[in-house]
Amino acid sequence: MIIELDEFTRVEGIGKAEIVIENGSVKEVRVKILEGPRFFELLTVGRNYWDVPDIEARICAICYASHSIASVRAIEKALGIEVPESVEKLRELALLGEIIESHALHLYLLALPDVYGYPDVISMLSKFGELVKEGLAIKAFGNTIRELIGGREIHGINIKPGGFGRYPTEEELGTIAKHANALVRFAKRIVSVFASQEARGAKVEIPMVTSEYLWGDELIVGNERIQYESLDEVPVQYSFAKHTYYKGKPIFVGALARLLLKGDRLVGESSRLLKAYKDKIESGYVIYNNLAQAIELVYALERVSELASEIASEGIEKGSGEASEDSGEGIGYVEAPRGVLVHHYRIEKGRVVWSNTITPTAFNQGMMERSLLEDAKRMFGREPEDRFKNRLEEIVRAFDPCISCSVHLVRL
Amino acid sequence: MKLGVFELTSCGGCALNLLFLYEKLFDVLEFYEIVEFHMATSQRSKEKLDVAIVTGSVSTQRDLEVVKEARNRAEYLIALGTCATHGGVQGGLENSVKENMKKVYGDIRGPTKVLEPRAVIDYVPVDFAIPGCPYEKEEVFQVLIDIAKGVDPVPKDYPVCLECKLNEYECVLLKKGVPCLGPVTLGGCNAKCPAIGLGCIGCRGPIPDPNIPGLVDILKEIIPEGDISRKLKTFTRW
Repeated sequence: MIIELDEFTRVEGIGKAEIVIENGSVKEVRVKILEGPRFFELLTVGRNYWDVPDIEARICAICYASHSIASVRAIEKALGIEVPESVEKLRELALLGEIIESHALHLYLLALPDVYGYPDVISMLSKFGELVKEGLAIKAFGNTIRELIGGREIHGINIKPGGFGRYPTEEELGTIAKHANALVRFAKRIVSVFASQEARGAKVEIPMVTSEYLWGDELIVGNERIQYESLDEVPVQYSFAKHTYYKGKPIFVGALARLLLKGDRLVGESSRLLKAYKDKIESGYVIYNNLAQAIELVYALERVSELASEIASEGIEKGSGEASEDSGEGIGYVEAPRGVLVHHYRIEKGRVVWSNTITPTAFNQGMMERSLLEDAKRMFGREPEDRFKNRLEEIVRAFDPCISCSVHLVRL
Repeated sequence: MKLGVFELTSCGGCALNLLFLYEKLFDVLEFYEIVEFHMATSQRSKEKLDVAIVTGSVSTQRDLEVVKEARNRAEYLIALGTCATHGGVQGGLENSVKENMKKVYGDIRGPTKVLEPRAVIDYVPVDFAIPGCPYEKEEVFQVLIDIAKGVDPVPKDYPVCLECKLNEYECVLLKKGVPCLGPVTLGGCNAKCPAIGLGCIGCRGPIPDPNIPGLVDILKEIIPEGDISRKLKTFTRW
C-alpha cells in the first residue's frame, strides 16, 4: 500500500511524497520533486561571463542574491578578479538581508500556522495579527536591503563580477543600520514561539557548512574540510532532484547546521538566545531548524546594524572588475538562507564552457527522506490518516525546502 | 470574488512577489477571497474561480494539467510573469528537452513527463498577460483592483527606452556602448537597469512589433554576433 501526500503546501516549488507500507509497517518514503527541470547549467554554457550572474539569479526568487554572489565568486576565482574589502562587506550585507527576508518568510508566513494549527497565515490574522505584521515588517526590511545592494527585491542585476553597478550612499546605510536595530525586539519574540516545538524528524548526524559564516573556499562536513566533489550525488528514478551523500550518509545544510558548527560566531542577543536553547539545538532534531532560523534572524539583524554602520563610516572603495586572465576554473561556496550553495564554472576566453550548480535543498534531499521515514514509523497506526499526513508535511516544511532550486543540480 | 494562484515550473518569484505586496495584499483581500494558493495556504479547493493567476511555464505534464484546470475553473485568467507570458529562461533553451534531459539526467525519466518549456499563452487563451522577471507588483495590484471594479485593465505596449527617456537617463547603448535590449523590450519597469548604468537584459519580453534588425546593427558594433542572439533568447524564444 502507498499513502500519497498531496503536493506540499506552504513551501516554495512543486513536490510531493509517498509512504510505502508493507505488512502493516512503514517500509520506505519517496520524496518526489515534480517541478520541471530548468537546465541552468546548460543555459550558462556559451555565455559571456558578465551575463552569467543575472541568469543564475533566476534559479530562485527567495535567494537570488545568494545565487548571484556564488556566481560572481566563482567567476572571480576563475579569472583572477580582485575584490576590495568594501565590496566583500556589501556582499555580506546583501546575504544578511536575504537571510532576514527568507527566514521571516518561512517562519512567519509558512511555518507559523503549524505551531498554532491553522491552514495559513490569513486565517490567523484576527488572533495573531500583531505577530504576523511584525513578521511582514521584518521581511520587508530584508527586501529593502536586497533592493539597496542587489538592485531589486527579486532578481536584482546590481551584483556583478568585481563589484556593483551602483553603490549605496552613507545615508542609505545609516538608515539600514537604524531600522535593523529597531527590529531585533520583534525577532526575539519569534524565537520563543519556535522554541516551543516538540522534537521531531531525524537527528542531524552530518551537518555541512562553508568554511566561513556566509561563504568560504571549502566546506566543513562534520569535522572534516572538503571540496564538494568528494560528496556523492545519486540520481533517483522518481525525482528530478538528485540525492547527495557523504561516505554513504545523508548530510544536512541550513540554519541548524550553521549553529551546530558555527554557533561560536554569534555575539550579543543571538549568542545569549543560542545559549538559552542550547539543548534543543544540540539535540539536532530537524524540526529545530525552525528555531535555528529564528535565532539566526536575530543574529542577522544585529550584524546588519553593526556592518552597515561600519561600511558607512569607513567609506566605500569600488571594485574595478578587471580580470587578469580570460580563462580558468572557479568554485563559489555561499551560505544561502537554506544552506550551502555551490556554483562551479570553467571559463575559456571569457565564455563559460562548463557549469555546475548544487543547491541547499538538493543537499538536503536524503535527510528529508530519512526524517520522513523515521517520523512515519513513529506515527503510523497511532494517528488518524489526515493528521499523520499533516504532521509529515510539517517535517518537510521544517527543512524550508526551495524546490525550484533543487531541480537543476547536475554535474555535466 | 474568488481568487486562485497556480504555480507551474519557475523560480517561485511570481507567487512570492504577490506576498511582497505587504499591506497592499490586505487591500486585495478586501475584494478577493484566496481559495487556492499553494505557497501561501494549505487549504485546497475545487471551487469555480472569478480570477485565476497562473505563474511559471508549462514544462511538464503536471504543469499542463494544472493550467487546463485553472482555465476551466476561472472566469478571468491572468498569465503572470515572463515564464507564463513568454516561456522565461527555461523557454530560451535551444536544444530539445529530450536532448537536455539526456545530458543532465542520463536515463532518469523523473516523476512526470517532461515537455518543451512553453508560455501559458501557447496552451490556453488568457484574458490578460503581465510580463516581467519579476513583474512589477504595482502592476498586478492595479490589474486585480481593476477587474474587481469591472474596469478593463490596460496592457503596456511601449519599450523600455520610453521610460528611460522620460527619466532623462543617459543612453547606455549609444553613449556608453553597453549592450542594451531596451529598444525591443516591453517597458513598465521604469527602466531599472539603465537607471544604474547597466544594459536592459530583456526580462519583460519583446514589444509587439520589435525592430530586431535595427538593434542587431547597433549591437554588432559592441559584441560578437553570436552573443546577440544568446542575449535576445535569455527570456524567450522570440
